[in-house]
Amino acid sequence: MSANNKEPLVDIRGAFKAFGGVRAVDDVSVCVYPGEVVAVLGHNGAGKSTLMKMLAGAYPIDSGEIRVGGQPAKINNPADSQHLGIETIYQTLALADNLDSVANLFLGRELQTRWGTLDDYAMEKAAREVFHRLNPNFKNIRVPVRSLSGGQRQVVAISRAVYFNAKALIMDEPCAALGPEETRMVHDLVRKLKAAGVGIFLISHDMPDVFGLSDRLCVMKNGKTVGTYKTAEVTEDEVLGMIIAGKKVTRVAESFESAVG
Amino acid sequence: MANLQNTLQISALDLRLSIMAGVLVVMSLAFQMATGNFLTPENLYNIAQQSAVVGIVAAAIGLIIVARQIDLSVGSVMGTIGVLIAWLQYSHGWHWIPSSFAGLAVALVIGMYQGWLTAYLGVPSFVVTLGGLMSFRGVAFLISDGRTQPVTDATFLLVGGGLDGSLGPTLSWVVGLAFAALLLWNMVSRRRRAAAAGFPLRPIGFDILLTGFFIAVLLGFVALMSAYKLESKPSAQGVPNPVLIWGAVVMSLAFVVNRTRFGRYVFAIGGNPEAALLVGIPVKKVMLKLFLLLSVMVTIAAMVSVSRLNAGTNSLGTGMELYVIAAAVIGGVALAGGSGTVLGTVLGSLIIQFLESGLLLMDVGIGYRMVIIGQVLIVAVVFDVLYRRATGERLT
Repeated sequence: MSANNKEPLVDIRGAFKAFGGVRAVDDVSVCVYPGEVVAVLGHNGAGKSTLMKMLAGAYPIDSGEIRVGGQPAKINNPADSQHLGIETIYQTLALADNLDSVANLFLGRELQTRWGTLDDYAMEKAAREVFHRLNPNFKNIRVPVRSLSGGQRQVVAISRAVYFNAKALIMDEPCAALGPEETRMVHDLVRKLKAAGVGIFLISHDMPDVFGLSDRLCVMKNGKTVGTYKTAEVTEDEVLGMIIAGKKVTRVAESFESAVG
Repeated sequence: MANLQNTLQISALDLRLSIMAGVLVVMSLAFQMATGNFLTPENLYNIAQQSAVVGIVAAAIGLIIVARQIDLSVGSVMGTIGVLIAWLQYSHGWHWIPSSFAGLAVALVIGMYQGWLTAYLGVPSFVVTLGGLMSFRGVAFLISDGRTQPVTDATFLLVGGGLDGSLGPTLSWVVGLAFAALLLWNMVSRRRRAAAAGFPLRPIGFDILLTGFFIAVLLGFVALMSAYKLESKPSAQGVPNPVLIWGAVVMSLAFVVNRTRFGRYVFAIGGNPEAALLVGIPVKKVMLKLFLLLSVMVTIAAMVSVSRLNAGTNSLGTGMELYVIAAAVIGGVALAGGSGTVLGTVLGSLIIQFLESGLLLMDVGIGYRMVIIGQVLIVAVVFDVLYRRATGERLT
């Protein structure tokens, strides 16, 4: 892994995206290294979700470049992003409420029998293992996910990243709707994935999340980057200053290299 | 209750289907008591073949509604395709097979056009197909300049049923037993795969009871149809051809819904279109395919219809969109999307036809019949809303 640490896992360079006349993301560069958590912060409308949606393939990128594992990557749709090993956990969780947990885990990437039909039993078997690993108490996996609790729904969304062996992971406000116990579960999971060498972009408003989990942080305001720093080198007040006033920290240097190891 | 439901592995949907089947039984008993001749082989033979055209289209439009779309143009498109098939045969002397394929081709082009507008341009399907409802009724008129096109090909006329268009008793039993074997095989293979994967099985007795029930209904139907004999013919009628076609359509669509990616995507799109996009489902392509699938079913329905009437007229299928949508909704397809079953559309089509036929036998006039069927539609939706609330299915 140490050799890999020299090279970013995902490298977004000069990303630009406009909706009508609004520059939602304007010349933003940010990268994540293997085994690293990079927090992306900013107000609502700062452009962080749009930036991440370009990486996830939900919005096509207007200009700029995304490199994955050193290679320029063409991401036109969510399937492209998934093929590159990038998984996304959306704030809305992106679950089809009328389908059960197993169907949701495999949604868009169903396992098939050799006749091209759905292999429900193989999917259920695999799903049980993944769900059990994430939450041993999660048993009612064959009911529509609309009847599950917030934490269980989160488990289903996260299980996609775990089952499909994400190399890079985007988490959009993963703890926003969760209770303390479920938040702890998500934190544990982030640390586990990090230890396994997954690079994680964490979009969050929550300072304890950011300072508890991230190695570096990147603050955005009005579609532009304010600054990128090692989390350990800045204070909460400085981060808030960047988010609210767009005030760059000059006390320490910005950091564009891996903060891990 | 919840525990029992768990052990038996039945869902709220299965329960609703059983309730609807119960409604059908109650209706037929009530009509039998009121008229004395509702539950005769002759009447049931007619009901079965009259339900087929609506049922074939309802099965497909159910999926369109599941995907949060609607198609108001099915009646008009069926008119266009029906007239075209008849016109090619009568006015141009084409054989019925190429005529039918030409009809299918045109139907697919229409489906492509409306599906593309809906899926790729994002025009609401309500508007697209409302336009289609008017335009294609016009096209049906234009094709033959409003003149009725009789069809005479003896083979083609078999498609639509009627007095000659049925399987006869022997073939009916062969087909009936084949379908029964398929149901049995389905049960056995499902159990075997569940066991292989190490999942808890349904109690075997319950599984046998359930499959046995379906087989009993199936064979009971065959027996009933084989009991219908006309004075003028040497052997009994057996299953009408349109019903066989309907059965094949229902089986194929049920397979598509339950066993293929496409079917799962249709439900995912209906449940949460945004999520479907985000997880990488090709939503537009699935939607377009769905409209093409409906086109195929409309073509089949047009063939059955023209054959039944012995002619293609420009009024063919007028108002059918309402019956088809009503059948799907009565059958438990939620207009909010994401929920519905193919079997439900079958029961919905039958409920409408039972009402039509029963009220007709009771000498209820057309005006009252329309009032009653309209209100039954509302009762069905009210029941649907209450049922979903009770079983905890949220309404969007």
